[in-house]
Amino acid sequence: MSIPQAVLIWVVLAPGVVFAALALFWLLGYTPGEKFLTRLSSAIYLGCTAGIAVLSWTILASRAAPMGIVISLGNWYAIGHDHFSLVFMADRLSLPFLALAVVLSGLIGHFSATYLHREPGFLRFYLLLHLFAFGSFLAFAGGSFDVLAVGWEIVGITSVLLIGFFQQRSAPVENGLRVFGIYRICDIGLFAAIFALHRWAGTTALRRGFSHLHGMPVVVVCLLLLFAASGKAAQVPFSGWLPRAMEGPTPSSAIFYGAISIHVGAYLLLRAEPLLARSPLASGCVILIGGLTALHGTFAGRVSADAKTSLAYATLTQVGIVFIEIGLGWKWLAVAHIMGNAIIRTLQYLRAPSMLRDYHQMYAASGHKEPVAAVSKRTGRLGQIQLLFYRWSFDRGHLDTILDRWVIAPLFRVSECLAKLDKMGTSASGVQAHLILPCMSGPLSQENPE
Amino acid sequence: MTLSILLPARDLMWAAVAIPWLGVVLGSVWRRHARLLGCITTAMAGLACGLLLWQSPKGGSLYDTLALLYTCLSFAALVVLPRRDCTWSNISGILFLLGCTLLAYWTNNLLILVAAWMLSSVPFMAVAWLGSRSWRPRAGLLISSLCLAVALTWIWVRDRTLAISALQGHAFAGAIVFWLFVLAVIFRKAMVPGHAWIPDMAETTSAIPASLLLNEHFGALLIIKLLVPLDPHAGARFPIFADFALWAALYFALRALSENSPRRLLALLTISQSACILSGLESGTAAGISGALAQWIVVSVTTVGLFAILRLLEVRFGGHFTVHRHYGLAEHSPRLAVFFAIFALAFIGLPGTLGFCSQDLLIHGALQSHPWIGLLLPITAAMNAISMFRLFTRLFLGKRRTGITVMADALPCERWALTAGVLFVVLGGLFPNAILMQPSAGLSGKLSPRIRMVKRPEGKNKFRLKAPSASPVLGRPAQKFRSQDLTRGETSSPNQMINADKSRA
Repeated sequence: MSIPQAVLIWVVLAPGVVFAALALFWLLGYTPGEKFLTRLSSAIYLGCTAGIAVLSWTILASRAAPMGIVISLGNWYAIGHDHFSLVFMADRLSLPFLALAVVLSGLIGHFSATYLHREPGFLRFYLLLHLFAFGSFLAFAGGSFDVLAVGWEIVGITSVLLIGFFQQRSAPVENGLRVFGIYRICDIGLFAAIFALHRWAGTTALRRGFSHLHGMPVVVVCLLLLFAASGKAAQVPFSGWLPRAMEGPTPSSAIFYGAISIHVGAYLLLRAEPLLARSPLASGCVILIGGLTALHGTFAGRVSADAKTSLAYATLTQVGIVFIEIGLGWKWLAVAHIMGNAIIRTLQYLRAPSMLRDYHQMYAASGHKEPVAAVSKRTGRLGQIQLLFYRWSFDRGHLDTILDRWVIAPLFRVSECLAKLDKMGTSASGVQAHLILPCMSGPLSQENPE
Repeated sequence: MTLSILLPARDLMWAAVAIPWLGVVLGSVWRRHARLLGCITTAMAGLACGLLLWQSPKGGSLYDTLALLYTCLSFAALVVLPRRDCTWSNISGILFLLGCTLLAYWTNNLLILVAAWMLSSVPFMAVAWLGSRSWRPRAGLLISSLCLAVALTWIWVRDRTLAISALQGHAFAGAIVFWLFVLAVIFRKAMVPGHAWIPDMAETTSAIPASLLLNEHFGALLIIKLLVPLDPHAGARFPIFADFALWAALYFALRALSENSPRRLLALLTISQSACILSGLESGTAAGISGALAQWIVVSVTTVGLFAILRLLEVRFGGHFTVHRHYGLAEHSPRLAVFFAIFALAFIGLPGTLGFCSQDLLIHGALQSHPWIGLLLPITAAMNAISMFRLFTRLFLGKRRTGITVMADALPCERWALTAGVLFVVLGGLFPNAILMQPSAGLSGKLSPRIRMVKRPEGKNKFRLKAPSASPVLGRPAQKFRSQDLTRGETSSPNQMINADKSRA
């Protein structure tokens, strides 16, 4: 194992090891103090930053590794001919993402020391931050879609747990459940795509490029990956979860929904770019979804009443545009766009709690002049259209309503019917026809007060 | 070698079976020390199982592994059993169930298998023992036992033998016996429409013994022991049954979405995940069969842990919970919350736990054998994950419940038992080969040669997936499983592995 390879492994594993050690100590009864946690966090991410610098130097300056640094740690598990290979890779695409994740994780760790000072969940936040960092490093440094999926799942679960960070209130917890549901449903696309790649391409290794895959298999794999990426990147029609995710603490919102997590979907598509280039249909779908999301984000963001939601929609708009760029094949423009968007949004999110103070400063500096708010004075048909459009934007494109009414409610109705069938035998009167056919006896809620 | 001469496998098996039953008898005399007696007898049974596993030949350790797993689960259940539940009936019920389960795992005789099957359901039928207050658990257990007994009688009338080895390869009693076995599996393993008794039992009996009954997996055992290895036509009939199991898993996942009782919800999720085991067994692929075994282990460990934590919460905070509202119990019991979360995450297949490996392998196996029906498996897994997360959030998160006095978090003995379970699923997830390699070789040796005979017509599925001729990374295309592949040349042929088990049984 060469030095760059060892450094790559160290960078990926360091946050995971710290998470495991801290969690085990806590389970056995030792709770580390705030100062220890913040210093440990700073040390870890400073070390990782140094490691990233070494990797960058090796890849950018040295001609010896034009394809990047690749290391295989053997098989995680091997059953017959099916094996899960632990391959890690740092190339020109993954390195900017790795650097971004390392620097922002350290920054958020440093910022949160003050922001969450004496918060009851201080240790929990740092544990989840390290777990998230481990997941994102795995996703970005994964040398195959298999490893990427592992990181993807870890990022998803930490995201959900941090949305419900303020667990004493019901709303964050319920919103976390909603986000978890959407993540899990969309992850089906990723796992199905990985299986399809195993079957059709015989590998999920990223450096192979899947050059021998053509025709319908490419389209199917791309569409499955697009489904998974849409869920993670809050693209239409799954955008409804993003404003709900703002219930988490501001530092986690900054790193998840301003910088890393929201862009993991785009990274997945960038990794699938060789396949997308061979499938105009899938590329068209990516452009369509990105375009719809960009429009949706910009309209819904303009009528949002709170700072974090406005920022979330601003991010969403940019991610939609990134999707368009990926669909058009402008890979490096998309990478540059993601980097810029992630950094500026992180800064904006972290400044969001002091927005009122900033406003007061501007107000004082402007000589106490009130900014003029835009007021619509249109009347007639144009005014009505404007009002309808405003309503549509205010309800965030009715996306949540559509999902609730056309997907979730029918599922629950079926589930309740099955519950009634199951409970049939336990009723005193035995088999009752109205339990089998609920429509014969009115709404379900009357039958089952639970 | 010396140990195997001093302690022959047959004696160790009888000791492992008899010691828990002896514990039942002794417990009825010294009822005040029932838990201590239970722990000692279970530990001795576990020691015997461990010795057996140590002695067993490579690739022939399937039943020994399962026996050791079940004994450890019983021991952990006895350790975490709340003081309120430490009655003689509960403890003797667990011990009796353990003896019956070990007997069923190891026997090579149909009569003993049916006897163990029936005896294991006795504690849940006898009202004074662990008997359910609902009639459906008794009916479910009775119907499954009856089906098995009728099938056994039919076999005996026709073939005049009850030794499983003697029936190998015979067309024993034809389709009727096959479908009687299937009925027994449907009712014991709780598949649609014979499933309603499991949620009833989870709600109306003691939670921890009920979880042990759920996790003996006699339905899957019957398939491994009898249905597939013996019936020469099983290959043609079994795939329909496995497809049915996948639909049943989806049914339970869907049903769990609107369930509001935590115990019923956990029971539904358990049978949904357990139903996936059948699809893996049927797939006939190395990935599917190993995934089924991993799923068996994960579901057993996690659901016993989850039921135990739920019971501990019920005892501490009083009464039954509902999933209607938030209880915010993490505030009062943070360690129990973390244990619950880890078991739940392993159950739903988070990376880094054994659940991830099992679901990954199961999905690969199911999709390889049935590309379209197999898609139900990830959908089911996703729905189960949502229901499990809903249960976790409602119990542990949300607004703090008022009027609760300060209660102890996990007690030291509970903490150690639950930590052992957590370490097992986490370390098992990090190093799955150590757990899966040997027993899955034995299992594949038994199932794969029979199921491989079944090939669905290629034209049946228009878009049937096909492996490439050669893989640039794997070097070889994905192929149907051969048992030799699993053990990298260390194992003998499937028939030798079966004979190894038979000779010790």
